Amino acid sequence: MQPHLKRAFTLLALVIIAFILVRSLLVPDSFGQYGWYRGDSVNEIRNLSVNYAGSTSCGEEDCHKIIYSVWVKDRHKTVNCETCHGPAEKHVLNAREPLEKANESREYCGKCHFKEIARPEEFPQVDPETHGEDLRCVYCHNPHKPWFV
Amino acid sequence: MLDNLIWGYVYPNESEIQWSILIVLYPYITGLVAGAFIASSLYHVFGKKEIKPVARFALLTALSFLLVAMMPLLVHLGRPERGIEIMFTPHLTSAMSGFGYIFSFYLIIVVLEIWLSFREDIVKKALSSHGWKELLYSSLALFSFDISEETLHNDEKFARKLAIIGIPSAAFLHGYVGFIFGGIKANPWWSTPLMPIIFLMSAIVSGIALLILLYIAAMKIRKHAIDHKCLQSLAHYLWIFLILDVTLELLEIISMKYASREDIDIINRLLSDKIGFTFWGIQLTLGIFIPFILLLLVSLIKKRDTLKLIMISVSCIFVVIGVFAMRWNVVIGGQEISKSLVGTLTYVPEFFSQEGVLPAIIIFMLPFIILRVVTAILPPWKDMEEETQEHN
Repeated sequence: MQPHLKRAFTLLALVIIAFILVRSLLVPDSFGQYGWYRGDSVNEIRNLSVNYAGSTSCGEEDCHKIIYSVWVKDRHKTVNCETCHGPAEKHVLNAREPLEKANESREYCGKCHFKEIARPEEFPQVDPETHGEDLRCVYCHNPHKPWFV
Repeated sequence: MLDNLIWGYVYPNESEIQWSILIVLYPYITGLVAGAFIASSLYHVFGKKEIKPVARFALLTALSFLLVAMMPLLVHLGRPERGIEIMFTPHLTSAMSGFGYIFSFYLIIVVLEIWLSFREDIVKKALSSHGWKELLYSSLALFSFDISEETLHNDEKFARKLAIIGIPSAAFLHGYVGFIFGGIKANPWWSTPLMPIIFLMSAIVSGIALLILLYIAAMKIRKHAIDHKCLQSLAHYLWIFLILDVTLELLEIISMKYASREDIDIINRLLSDKIGFTFWGIQLTLGIFIPFILLLLVSLIKKRDTLKLIMISVSCIFVVIGVFAMRWNVVIGGQEISKSLVGTLTYVPEFFSQEGVLPAIIIFMLPFIILRVVTAILPPWKDMEEETQEHN
């Protein structure tokens, strides 16, 4: 083989070797241990701290019993407390830890209730352009008892 | 507002169209690469001497577009740094996992092919220049300066072999894009084994048309006479591939209509309503039938080179627009019909967003800038201009 071709192919071989080296450095060792993902991620995810306490913990200890009893009987009972109020595990363990402010924005309610063609017709939906002007939904609706206008 | 965009029954996960104008651009650019490469092979492999003036220019065009081919995908990904993972951990049951390797293999072939065909020029420049230019060209020559006649002859033989591997890999690179669409069995507008070959033919058509336009533009900018023999020969090949292309595209529609499977109602709605104008109007009439007739006239008319030049230019502009419409009709059309087969959606392109028209325009301009830079480093003009002078 002529020298210039030899050099070209050596260069190509070097590029391929560099790719293999970089690949072996960047692909985690545990990749493919169980499937097409990093095996270590299973343990890492298991060891993550718990953030959510669950709705029942809000009504259990006489803390928010009244509002809980209203919510649990009404249409929004399938929407957990922490959906709007944020993760509450720290607050449940220590009542002095404040909760984040509940998300009361119009857009947040709209995630479920703005009109969308793909939603079942009987599901309560409003057209954001014609319904309620620009007021926040909670101005009229009580999120714990949504038909209580 | 949403109500006007949706008709019939669609599934909740379909209300947003995921593959945007960037995914239209991706097969369009790879098509231009494959087409330009195959045009250069007409000389390098099949020995069509009349193509010689543009053969090396075609290779540079293929490279410029190839370097940009993966960009629409990376921008669409939103996390471009993860793009390389398709090469690090390819999931071999997915056709998409092949992209990185097919792309890289083809890039190597194109770069080698360009290097061998420009090596004589590179070495001469390295020996005659000084300073950073000498360093640039010497490194491009890999510090090997042998350009004896025997070496060049061997290079030519080797480049030819490479081009022979290059044709199937160009066909594979683009046929594979068609295969990805053809393999989506849930979508009646995409799912056909004809898809790879339809993509390939339209790729060749668009590549040759673009090459002709770039050639005319380059000669006008450099104020040099156009080699009409070369131009008309390219136009002739364009005409032949147009026939193959339209045959396959119509064959697909005709067999769909004749077989009239359960999905025919929604296909009819797609063709008459959703993409009616872009399919019948732009893709077929403007992009194929008008150029077909104009190019037919070009081969019938004798002499009158200027008229022919205008007719060829107009045809080529129509062809590149028509092929873009074809990609649009495939990519967007396929997503505008619901998997329910009794509903349709509408894609409204945004302009400024990450998936919008503006990034698509920017990405599409890049290959032309790259081509300008590459032709400044490796000027292919000598072939074009010498040949014309001989004819004159």
